[in-house]
Amino acid sequence: MTFKILFAAGAVLLTSSLPTVAPAEDLPLQSGDTVVMIGSTLIERARLYGHLEAALQMAAGLEIEGLTFRNLGWSADSVFADSRSYFGTPQEGRARLAANIEELKPTVVFLAYGTGEAMSVEQGWTNEKDAAEASAAGLETSLELFIDGYQKKIDAIRNASAGSIRELILLSPPPLENLGELLPDQTQNNRNLASFRDAIAELARKNQARFVDLFASLGGDDFDGSIADPALTDNGVHYTEEGYARLAQALIRELGYDETHFVSSDQEAEKVLRNAIIEKNRLFFHRWRPANETYLFLFRKHEQGQNAKEIPMFDPLIEAQEARIAKARQLVFSGKTKN
Amino acid sequence: MNFRLSLALTCSFSAVLSLHAQNGLRDIPDTAFDAQLNAFNLREGASINLYAHEPAVKNPVHMNWDQKGRLWVVSSPLYPHIQPGEEDNDRIIILEDEDGDGVAEKHTVFADNLHIPTAILPGDGGCYVANAIEVLFLKDTDGDDIADERRVILSGFGTEDTHHLVHTFRYGPEGMIWMNQSIYIHTHLETPYGVRRLLGGGMWHYRPETRRAEVFMKGLINPWGHAFDEWGQSFLTDGAGSQGINYVFPRSVFATSPGASRILTGLNPGQPKHCGLEILTGGHLPDHLQGVQAAPDFRGNRINLFELTDNGSTYTSSQVEDLVSSKHRSFRPIDIKMGPDGAIYVADWYNPIIQHGEVDFRDPRRDKEHGRIWRITFDEHELLTPPQLVDASDKALIEVALTSAQGWDREQAGKEIRTRSAETLLPVIASATPPEGVDPDLFHLRKVWAGQSLNHLDLESVETLLASNNHKARCGALRAVYYTAAENSKALDYASATVSDPHPQVRLWAVSVLAQLASPDTVKLALKALEGIEVDEFLDFAIWSICREHEDRWVSLTEKGNPFENTSQLLFAARALNKAVAVPIILSALSEGEFTSDEDIADLADWISKVGTPADLNAIFEYSISDSSSEASKEIILQSLASAGRLRKIQPAGDINRLSAFLQADNPSLFASAAALAGRWKLESARGGLKEAFLGAPADEARARAALDGLVSLGGPLTAKLFQTLASDTTAPFLTRSLAVIGRTRMNPTEGAKLAISVLREAPEGKDPHGLFDAFLANKQGPGALTAALKGITLPEEVALTGMQKASSAATSPQALIEALQEAGGLQPMKMALSPAEMETMMSEIATKGNPHNGEAIYRRASLQCTVCHAIGGAGGIIGPDLVSIGASAPVDYLVDSLLQPSVKIKEGYHTTLVTLKNGDSFAGAIAREDDNEIVIRDAVGNENRIAKAEVESNQISPVSLMPPGLTASLREDEFVDLARFLSELGKDGDFKTPPNRFIRQWQTLMPHERTRDEIGHQGEIIFTEEIDSYVWLPIYSKVNGALPVGETPDIVGRGKNRHAVARTFIDVAESGEIHLRLIGELKDLVFFHGDTEIKLPESGSETEITLQIKEPGRQKLTFSGLKRHGLENVFIELLDDAGTAQFVPVLDF
Repeated sequence: MTFKILFAAGAVLLTSSLPTVAPAEDLPLQSGDTVVMIGSTLIERARLYGHLEAALQMAAGLEIEGLTFRNLGWSADSVFADSRSYFGTPQEGRARLAANIEELKPTVVFLAYGTGEAMSVEQGWTNEKDAAEASAAGLETSLELFIDGYQKKIDAIRNASAGSIRELILLSPPPLENLGELLPDQTQNNRNLASFRDAIAELARKNQARFVDLFASLGGDDFDGSIADPALTDNGVHYTEEGYARLAQALIRELGYDETHFVSSDQEAEKVLRNAIIEKNRLFFHRWRPANETYLFLFRKHEQGQNAKEIPMFDPLIEAQEARIAKARQLVFSGKTKN
Repeated sequence: MNFRLSLALTCSFSAVLSLHAQNGLRDIPDTAFDAQLNAFNLREGASINLYAHEPAVKNPVHMNWDQKGRLWVVSSPLYPHIQPGEEDNDRIIILEDEDGDGVAEKHTVFADNLHIPTAILPGDGGCYVANAIEVLFLKDTDGDDIADERRVILSGFGTEDTHHLVHTFRYGPEGMIWMNQSIYIHTHLETPYGVRRLLGGGMWHYRPETRRAEVFMKGLINPWGHAFDEWGQSFLTDGAGSQGINYVFPRSVFATSPGASRILTGLNPGQPKHCGLEILTGGHLPDHLQGVQAAPDFRGNRINLFELTDNGSTYTSSQVEDLVSSKHRSFRPIDIKMGPDGAIYVADWYNPIIQHGEVDFRDPRRDKEHGRIWRITFDEHELLTPPQLVDASDKALIEVALTSAQGWDREQAGKEIRTRSAETLLPVIASATPPEGVDPDLFHLRKVWAGQSLNHLDLESVETLLASNNHKARCGALRAVYYTAAENSKALDYASATVSDPHPQVRLWAVSVLAQLASPDTVKLALKALEGIEVDEFLDFAIWSICREHEDRWVSLTEKGNPFENTSQLLFAARALNKAVAVPIILSALSEGEFTSDEDIADLADWISKVGTPADLNAIFEYSISDSSSEASKEIILQSLASAGRLRKIQPAGDINRLSAFLQADNPSLFASAAALAGRWKLESARGGLKEAFLGAPADEARARAALDGLVSLGGPLTAKLFQTLASDTTAPFLTRSLAVIGRTRMNPTEGAKLAISVLREAPEGKDPHGLFDAFLANKQGPGALTAALKGITLPEEVALTGMQKASSAATSPQALIEALQEAGGLQPMKMALSPAEMETMMSEIATKGNPHNGEAIYRRASLQCTVCHAIGGAGGIIGPDLVSIGASAPVDYLVDSLLQPSVKIKEGYHTTLVTLKNGDSFAGAIAREDDNEIVIRDAVGNENRIAKAEVESNQISPVSLMPPGLTASLREDEFVDLARFLSELGKDGDFKTPPNRFIRQWQTLMPHERTRDEIGHQGEIIFTEEIDSYVWLPIYSKVNGALPVGETPDIVGRGKNRHAVARTFIDVAESGEIHLRLIGELKDLVFFHGDTEIKLPESGSETEITLQIKEPGRQKLTFSGLKRHGLENVFIELLDDAGTAQFVPVLDF
């Protein structure tokens, strides 16, 4: 799949195996990094395909070892952490995220917010106290609220990590697509997204964070309202599996990696790697966001809380899966499954 | 005594130790097919056969048909929770009956990589499946019936509870997918139209081609069933809400929706809980089942049936004989669908235990191997042959969709339409004309739906329907318009034209359409729906809702005057908002006498008390003093002023001493309102009057208590001294002393505690009739103060036990006080928990020796108080869960545990919330409702306490059940065993399943009264129908079989040695005309009244039919008097008519 798209984009020459170039000084990933990805639907669904992680694993190069990725995406999450709040207010959602950060102690954090917010100006996108009304106001007010909330989120994440974070990377939302008359025209939303992108870039600068402009990379600035062909999204908003491959490509390019690092000619090995990542993500999902929270950890734990003991039993399974990922990665680099 | 039970058990151990086995496993029913087949009890003429079973199907959760007549089923052995090391490997199975013999001989595993899939819906060339946080679309692209394409369609559904996961998928007739979620689920979706969140239960609709997902309604605990009637109206069932069928419409809100300040209720309060819903229809079924709603009661191993009739903007629903029931405890019907051959198909989840909230995730009794699909047919009716839809021509397909008499055919044709080209199909639909024999209204509505299935709205047919004489057609048209109303330039015209429709349900839909529109006039138009007809609760709700949702379209207009037709409309809108809007206009209307009814005044006063200024309060206070107000209005205004004082700390701006005049009122409730207000306002001028009333106890306890409230609020050293003196005065009556202690405690718990000890020692029979313990428990410092005062003190054992029971069920769990009482009473620690071996013994005793008939009598004993909190089939209290099918749903060990330790397992929706105020007062109970300003807590005796949110210090869910532990402590072991046996039989086939007959279940019985002996001699039993203030009527409930046992009513003294049982009940009758009852009981001993008219009964016999002439519809009082002598044991009254004519009134209303 990756291949086809790359050809279509007319992008790269392919080599038979990956070059083993040492990482440049200013590249974000280092050996032993714990990479945490936080965001809304874009991040949550990335776990199903593995492209973003696989691309970063490969782009990092052979010299970099022991990368672990933890996906903390949550559909329709806002900068105020609405989706993480369970029975409580967004404040409880933020507390939950802070607890995740404290436990994972990330060295690298990717943040990806803005799609849902930009699409919901004038409708409202948060239940945060005293913010709900502003989130339903026009673009300017809503965006100001978004950036204000985003800054607080960054501060809270840094705070919870107790200094473990070395790299903070802000992703702009990728562009939306028009898919024909049955689906809404996203022209105005893409304009909103451009404003959000600009503000996120500025926010990254203020926070000495890296910024990845997925919006520009995937042609958001040139959007002319025409119907996407081929479409990278399923509904104009959410990227398909192929779409994620394109996002992955843009991501590593924007981070300064040599694109050829990420392109394996060994599809077989890459598939093995991605499948290993996807399985790890499945296990980790059951670990950090288990079903039955109400009984395991919340207000009915006095009834079924005894079952919570099973949840940490996913840890050794995840560890074992990380080993499989490392092995699969070796295979990709060695090009062993080729021939 | 409380320890008797455990001691007895200990003694009998050795005898049964040899039987020792894993707790409860002996209860596992036989898994053989025949064991289930032989246990069914079917309607006459019906047969049942096994369509599919394990190993092809294990634990089926949900099912739907495809256009080819194949049944798609999701099954989940992973439920309730994936174990570390397990794959996400739940399945979708396609079942096929290729030879038409009613048995699926072929099964194909379409997918086997799912995580607790809770819904399946084949369509659009593949299938939609609920997969925890996601809705997936799976497709087979190479024809092997195995999914090879997988897309995420929606994501962000909550997973807080795996039996709440997004569920109940169904295509609507308009071609959308409908999906429900349950109480604990918090869903956050990113859609191409913006973010959509639904926190708590509710229903979504989703159109696949536009990818639009919207919330339709909110609330309900487990809305596990959804069916559309043939006019496209939606009905839901609830797996925990126990209100039977629920009629839902856009923006309607039902129980437990977070933050809801108003909720609607279901159509059958007190009914069992259901999973699944189907409307029975089609040529194979007998006439009497056509249109009947079938709702599986998975707890009770049966499928209930309900008949609905129109009732204003909503419906009346009444239960009729079950479709099927089973004695087999693992028969768990959780889905029901009409099939292609006209038969009824039932998914049987097959499990001896259900649920996982109260039973351990890993309970070894969970069955993960079995699962069955049953098929019910009617021997004397021919089976149907479904049409070929996939290969049908466009014309033939449209003919099926528009004219087939079979619901199944039309539903599948609608799905097939979705797979074809709109361009070629729309002209075929447009040119169709109604053939002979098809209702033209239904035909046109189906045309609209067929168009909508292709995302096209056929306005011509909509307009034809709007012009119909049939209100159902008009409703159907408006509902079709509703979804895309915002983009439809004619929608405003349609709504404007129908908002004053003669039929309330049409108005309901007109208001619903208005709610979708951007016009500035939506509220003005919607308020017209209030005029000219009786506005029922559902229509009222819809109008209330739009006034709030479109607030910004009308509020600013009120600065220039009333933007609406009249001040009643303005009052309605302002009240809906609960804000100080248009107050001057409304108050001037009040003073000019524009509002006349007590209800209007009550609404107005309530609203002003919440939003008014001191000057506004003064305006209503003036009105209450004036001669123009009725006594009822005066009282309600005083109460409103009191709540303004309590919740908002404000009072009228004028001379408040004028209140004193009300303290002379004879009317007890007017006095009570005035007394409370006098205290609230610290009115020294009222002190004399209050003291006088307080000293009037025990002659008038109610008045004394009202005075007590006033005095406590008035406070100060004078009040303290009064209480101190009276409490210490050993010559004062016990009631006076008790009340004085309560008063002192409320002012100062430490001082109160010192006074309490000597009074408590005198408590009659160890009971605490006036609530001394409660006064301490209701105060943050109270338990500590009482604990301190108990140091070194002894109390009579019974008193201490009463205190312990009350303290143990307090949400604060005051452990120190419990121990202090234990010590003071010299009580042994309560033995509440049974060891596994003791439980084993207990279960064996219950199974072999328990007598459920004795158990029912024990259950009904006043001293156990079961009926105060629990209902069985709606008859009884509402504090605790309805127990109607508890026996069929809960394992026996669960019942025993719950009796002994009520806090260990608490049913969802029955958790206690503990609200502590900044001043130390605390309130425990269920949250009845809440809004931005206040929270309403319903306590253990059903009282509602309104609390200002600003005064709340903390608000937490308590791990303590409202049910006190030790309630069964007074029972002998054999009695406990009988009680547990009775509970374990509830809902199972047999004597303890509530029959579908519409028996009266809620009664009031007369307490002994001094006048009866003489008056009955002069006037006869008619005296029992008189409305006499000093008559005391207490609630009593029918037994499970519907009988009111005469022996349980108090003896009312009659002439000579005659003793009468006197009871009355109320029914609501919608229309004038005749209604019919059956009276069962020894007729020679019975006298029966309708209102104050005696209905002559036959002189002998044990059963008679009675016809009542209803001249004035509304509430009817039915009273009987029975001579208590040998022969008359039970009285039944059964309503014989359709529910449309007469319906029960919930007990709380009288």
